[in-house]
Amino acid sequence: MGLLARSASYVRYAVQGDLPANFWEFAAERIARHCFRDIDESYEERSVGWVSVLNMFDSEFAYASFAAADHVVLSLRVDERRVSPKVLNKFCLKEEERLKKARQIPKLARAHRVEIKESVRLMLVKKVPPSPAVYDLCWNLAEGTVLFFSTSQKAQELLEEFFKETFDLSLMLQVPYLTAEHLLDAPGREALADITPAIFI
Amino acid sequence: MDLVDLIDEKRFVGQEFLTWLWFKSEERGGTIFLPEAGEDIQLVFEKHMLLEYGEGENREKLICRGLMTELQEARTGLAMGKKLEQARILLTRGEYEWNLSFKATLMEFRNVKPPKTMGSAEEGNDPEAVEGRLLEHLSLHEMVVRTVDQLFRMFLELRIGSAWEQELTRIQAWVRKGKETH
Repeated sequence: MGLLARSASYVRYAVQGDLPANFWEFAAERIARHCFRDIDESYEERSVGWVSVLNMFDSEFAYASFAAADHVVLSLRVDERRVSPKVLNKFCLKEEERLKKARQIPKLARAHRVEIKESVRLMLVKKVPPSPAVYDLCWNLAEGTVLFFSTSQKAQELLEEFFKETFDLSLMLQVPYLTAEHLLDAPGREALADITPAIFI
Repeated sequence: MDLVDLIDEKRFVGQEFLTWLWFKSEERGGTIFLPEAGEDIQLVFEKHMLLEYGEGENREKLICRGLMTELQEARTGLAMGKKLEQARILLTRGEYEWNLSFKATLMEFRNVKPPKTMGSAEEGNDPEAVEGRLLEHLSLHEMVVRTVDQLFRMFLELRIGSAWEQELTRIQAWVRKGKETH
């Protein structure tokens, strides 16, 4: 459902803040610093970073640049090791049963159960291969807007946070009222603020 | 005002726009004149619609689906005071044609099918061809967003101007007619 797919879903953001004068150098340095790092061979739980829209394994932009005319075109890749709650619950209960039997006690203290849960979770996380998600974005530098190719709220929150971390610029989701403010002049914006819902019947 | 409050309080702006767009597309048999671009575009509402009524926990939703239907339930919904929240639209501008679902409250463009372009086999995979393809996809998506912006500006200028009363009367007559005819 990304930029190059036959069907795509997206929302628009406005970029807030001024771009530095030497923008392309700045962008290259920031993207390199925040590029995606693979965690397949480690035990890290999560990795977030930029990759090429053409290849999710290309985090050095070796095959295609992130610059396309006056656009920055990137994919946000998130790899995460997730343990399903059912699996976690099963292994926690198993460990609790083992400890109760070994110590010959009927019940474990709550704090102990919390401890067990965390250690079981860490043990399981290491066994799960990271699951990837990739979201494309196109940043139109002339207009100061970003098209983000996902309508998932979770993905959008991640983008807002990671874009800010990378470029020190905030993103504002362009819902109709905010888009309207951009499309109207100052008197129009004042008039817009005063309108109330119309009745169509 | 923070974004969540703004979305809630001004929810009606996007829904009124989409409802007006349906009215506008039927006013001239699917053709809308875009003053900003000085050209006609085609806009047809089809297949799938979601209507809403009320606020917060009292919000009612009505989903209407069906290929080549007259969207009768949706028209009845309008006559009951519901407004359009999401619709599947066929948009034609010049030689290009898009299918898209537009979700009013958050201005989401969903399942946008841009016009077909030449495949990679025809264009090659060298960096210039790849960048060309990327820019082509990008410009087609930006073109549909820009077209919606132009329609939205057209609506806003009416909505905040003195011509709104007349337009509202026409919309109300269209809603009544839709209920009676179907």
